[in-house]
Amino acid sequence: MVAEAESPIDTSGAPSSLATAAAGSRLRIVAVRLEAGATDWLAAVGLHEGEEVVVLRRAALGGPLHVRTSSGGEFAVARELAEHLEVAPASETGS
Amino acid sequence: MSDAAETARSTREGGGAPTAECTIVLVGRPNSGKSSIYNRLTGGNARVGNYPGITVDVLEGEVTLPSGARAKIADLPGLYSVEAAVADDTDEGVARGFLERLRERTKDEAGAPARFVVVQVIDPTRLALGLRLTRELARAKLPLIVALTHKDILASEGRAVDVTRLGDEIGVPVVLVCARDDDAKPALLAAVDDRLRDLDPPPPHAGFDPAAVARHVVHDVSTSDATKRSRLFTERLDAVLLHPVIGPFLFVGIMALVFAAVFLVADPVSGAFDTLLGLARGGLDRLLGKGLVASFLADGVLAGAGTVLAFMPQIVILTIALELLEASGYLARGAFLVDRLLRLLGLSGRSFLPLLMGHACAIPAISATRVVRDPRERLTAILVLPLMTCAARLPTYALVLAAFFSGRSALFRACLFVGLYFSGIFAALVASFVLRRTATRGKSLPLVLEMPSYRLPQPSVVVRTALGAARRFLRDVGTTIVIASAVLWTLLTIPMPGVDRDPGAPEIESSVAATVGRAIEPVTRPAGFDWRINVGLFGSFGARELMVATMGVVYGVEDAEDEPAPLAEKLREAKRPDGTPLYGARTGLALLAFFVLACQCMSTVAAIRRETSSWRWPAFVLAYTYALGYAAAVAVYQIGGLLGVG
Repeated sequence: MVAEAESPIDTSGAPSSLATAAAGSRLRIVAVRLEAGATDWLAAVGLHEGEEVVVLRRAALGGPLHVRTSSGGEFAVARELAEHLEVAPASETGS
Repeated sequence: MSDAAETARSTREGGGAPTAECTIVLVGRPNSGKSSIYNRLTGGNARVGNYPGITVDVLEGEVTLPSGARAKIADLPGLYSVEAAVADDTDEGVARGFLERLRERTKDEAGAPARFVVVQVIDPTRLALGLRLTRELARAKLPLIVALTHKDILASEGRAVDVTRLGDEIGVPVVLVCARDDDAKPALLAAVDDRLRDLDPPPPHAGFDPAAVARHVVHDVSTSDATKRSRLFTERLDAVLLHPVIGPFLFVGIMALVFAAVFLVADPVSGAFDTLLGLARGGLDRLLGKGLVASFLADGVLAGAGTVLAFMPQIVILTIALELLEASGYLARGAFLVDRLLRLLGLSGRSFLPLLMGHACAIPAISATRVVRDPRERLTAILVLPLMTCAARLPTYALVLAAFFSGRSALFRACLFVGLYFSGIFAALVASFVLRRTATRGKSLPLVLEMPSYRLPQPSVVVRTALGAARRFLRDVGTTIVIASAVLWTLLTIPMPGVDRDPGAPEIESSVAATVGRAIEPVTRPAGFDWRINVGLFGSFGARELMVATMGVVYGVEDAEDEPAPLAEKLREAKRPDGTPLYGARTGLALLAFFVLACQCMSTVAAIRRETSSWRWPAFVLAYTYALGYAAAVAVYQIGGLLGVG
């Protein structure tokens, strides 16, 4: 289940799910918890371990997140998928 | 079918390698500008979209290289990776299959001069993302050129790419072009020529870091206010269009505006076609008189052509509207906004484009489902698309509203019309909800959709898209309608052997169609349909838009499809032998319920067969939509009776 919307990301540096990140957060993907095929495809699209993302906005009523990656891409990422992307604050992991 | 499309198809079916002597293959991520480059090179028919996966089919054109050699150009659907696993029948799968055949060919003819070149088109404003695919293509050892497009946008944002350094770092020739400029074609073809002539090119580097390379070669060359504004344009527009409260309202408003504009613009065009067709009928009458042949040509073939032309403008104009939304980048935003709603029903924002296209015509919409990466979601979208209110349903809706509800206020009829539209959407969404829990259940990958920058659509490409839509419609749907119309004329005209007709009764009453219509009356009577309506339903089995013309023939009203008012009057005045009205408002409602749900379109069935490579799913669509249509018609008629509706 999706965690409470708009709750701020854990600033302690411990990884948490992208789905819980607040708009404006700058984060780094530290793990992708999906099967190998989906992880590879997601990496090809531009969302992979080590990539930095900024959450631009969250759609209403538990809709997708709009994120920008450090590679220059912007993506709509469904909340259900974002739950499988572990993130940590970008500053904590170096950028 | 073009050679390239043939190759893609044969690839999916495990067929042979491409046969062209020299082939240029355009590849790239969705929305990289690939189709714009194709259009610049060929002046051809590929669409340009600003929506991931817009090039649904493999398109092909021909060009002459500077060396004088002729080359075929294949424009592959967008793809992110040639290494990650994807389903074969999606856009990415088609492109991957095509490239795999090329790779096989390289292996077969090691040492021989390359007879094809893969041109990877990259949007330099998202260079690091594009270079990820470059690295995979390099690892696949394909003869490669990189074409950086959107040179103009890069400049407007105050950035520049060091093309020489980029070429050195990735070990691949690089060309920087703008698809809108005339010099893009010679620059790109010269690079292709060089690559084809180079018998022993150095291997591309396959181990570079895309992000690092992008950082090295893209530089800021201006920080003026204009470039800052240009960089922030998309961001500022998104702040409004994707606002959690304002965004959805704007979205509904824009969609309503599009559909209203389509009908306002299409109406006078359809009227002009009617006039032309009337002139053609007049000419045919003068030329051939009133014989059986003249009747076949005028009432069978020409009537079918008239039906096609009557609603083609709506399809073309809606295609233009969708193209403008797509090319501008707004449709991806629409997908973002409706994703949550579609997720509840087992679909995702990626299905939004095909579902929207289904309001013009289900056939191109079924092809457009290839943008949906997940096979289960794609199949679900295909299976529910025939429920969307396509343009072909509208003539029947208009006739029924005029025949059974003319005594009601205009507001009532308008509300009923809108209700019918939304009934189709509602039925499709409910069907999707049920299918995802039954026939197509299983886990799917949730939405990941690239959000392109806002761009100005190219008018020439929009015009080509419109012409392409008209051509495809005439070919795929028009021929079916004309054939169905001719067959119908035969069934309505040829008397059923052994059936006697009362003297003075219309000839049609002893026809094959009427005899069968009578035979199934016991089944259709609970829905309020008599043999005459049954004949109309036969007539519209192949193409639902033939319903009006068929009922016109049954009631002896000429040109009912052009001028339905006299037919509507006849339907209102039709009486049973005891003098009571033959049809009432509940008959009209039952008929509408049937038309909302039943898949009366053989072209759609053929499209489903093509996309699913099986007869199982088209048979399933026919079965479930007809069963639903019949059940809904019976329910509406019977409940209407209980409630005292006339």
